[in-house]
Amino acid sequence: MDSTPDSFLDTAALIRGSMPRPRRLWLWYATLAVVVMILTSIVTAEENPQLQAIVRFLSGLLMFAMVLAMGWFASHTLKQQRREQQRVEAIEELIQLRRWDHAAGMIQAMLSRPTLTMSGRLQALFYLSGVLARYDRFADAIVVHDYLLSHAQFDPITAHGLKLMRAMALLREDHLVDADRAMGELRREAPDSAGLALVEIYRDVKTGHPDEAIEVFKAKSAAIRTQLGHRIADAYILVARAHDVLDQSTEAAAAYENATLLTPVEELLRRYPEVRPLREKYGGAASPREGVQ
Amino acid sequence: MTAENAIARFRRDITLGALLKGALAVGAVLVLLLHFLPLPAAINPSLLLMLLVVVWVVLWYGTMKSSRLAAESSTLIASGMLEQAETQIEQSLRAFSMSRSVKSLGLLNLALLRLAQKRWPDTALLCRELLASRGPMPEHVSKSGRLMLADSLLEMGDLRAAHDALTGLYRHRLSLSESLHLLRVQSDYLAAIGAWGELMRDVENKVSLAEIMPPQHGARLQAILALAAKQTGQAEWANWLRRRVELLVDVRELVATRPLLGQLWET
Repeated sequence: MDSTPDSFLDTAALIRGSMPRPRRLWLWYATLAVVVMILTSIVTAEENPQLQAIVRFLSGLLMFAMVLAMGWFASHTLKQQRREQQRVEAIEELIQLRRWDHAAGMIQAMLSRPTLTMSGRLQALFYLSGVLARYDRFADAIVVHDYLLSHAQFDPITAHGLKLMRAMALLREDHLVDADRAMGELRREAPDSAGLALVEIYRDVKTGHPDEAIEVFKAKSAAIRTQLGHRIADAYILVARAHDVLDQSTEAAAAYENATLLTPVEELLRRYPEVRPLREKYGGAASPREGVQ
Repeated sequence: MTAENAIARFRRDITLGALLKGALAVGAVLVLLLHFLPLPAAINPSLLLMLLVVVWVVLWYGTMKSSRLAAESSTLIASGMLEQAETQIEQSLRAFSMSRSVKSLGLLNLALLRLAQKRWPDTALLCRELLASRGPMPEHVSKSGRLMLADSLLEMGDLRAAHDALTGLYRHRLSLSESLHLLRVQSDYLAAIGAWGELMRDVENKVSLAEIMPPQHGARLQAILALAAKQTGQAEWANWLRRRVELLVDVRELVATRPLLGQLWET
């Protein structure tokens, strides 16, 4: 990678530089040439029967060359597009495996130049927003979210995920009014979303409304478990903080233990800096995994 | 659409598609050759070639449409919209397509839908048809077909056939989602034959992979690992994994699908 640390994952540059180039016009020129050739051969055949054989022979050669060229071009383009799709899939796998540095490097390399397809570009930008959030660059992540939501049409599930990520990033950046508006929109679209419940719990903990956070958790814990799986640890750690604020140390300790049973403490503290005071107060669940508590 | 109907249509379309592609290729070569032969002025080979191109473009448009339907239906299945997926898959299977890969993808999606609907014999039948069909097949279709075949055979209690289906996969390079699926099916198989020691091998890595699986699958894998830990006397692992499972799923529902796991909660 030749980029300096300052320009690493420069969102504006990546959004600008990754736009696919417009398709070349030579395909239209080739089609025009074929039409001209056909018309010429018809006119020649009518006007000068002696020249007809020569024109037909030459147009035959040209046709043959064009068929070969178009076949090669189609196969070449398909191979390049497949390679780009494989790179996007590799980025997705690296993110799933939490190999953030590798994923960031691949995204930087892919979006630094025009992509071949718009779908590949949008997928890579989607993953870029996730990596930026992981690096605590929430303002940059919001820029990418806004760009994607205003410039692309996603299926409802992906669009919902993107809006959730944006709402969480807004909360992390303390843009509470914008976050509240984003949550209102999410509530209208998918009131039963477990992701939305998690964002609401975080908002309540962050703004000092522990009772509301506990209420939301009680009402939505079954949905959070079914829809978010291991990420229920996030809800447990936030609820632990809510109980702690209310001086309910028994409940706080139980929720803290549940959270740390599912996810390492360090990871939870990274995601939600507001829960740091819990670490000194409560003992996390012991893990048989090496080096994990 | 029944599995038998889908298979009959798949076979018919594959044959028809191959014949049509062959006819178009032969036609194109013949028309090209016509350019070099002395012909009456009324016959213009360039015009004939254009006509062939138009026919090819029209057929390819249908193929692309069918391909889009097939691609969308897998997303619908993943998001649990099974009825919509059923309609879409049926449309994709009924639509004509010149491409063998598109037809295979349609049949694979139907197998995936039947797996989600827990219709194991149909899934096995469709996967067997895919794996038995001659000619080039996209690698991901054959790998997914094999994984689903092993999965459905395990559910039907045919351990030997499930083992054979799994064995064929070790020769392939798998993507992350395929590796996760393989780990899940393999663990089910090892638990069914009581290979507890083998299950506990590289347990830390298996737990990490379980964490990125869909919630139900991840919880079931951890429950199987907890049982393996219990059977091999590793109480700390057994206890830790069992408590995680209790936080992730409804234990009664889990035991209803895998009665063997009931041993974890016996007093």
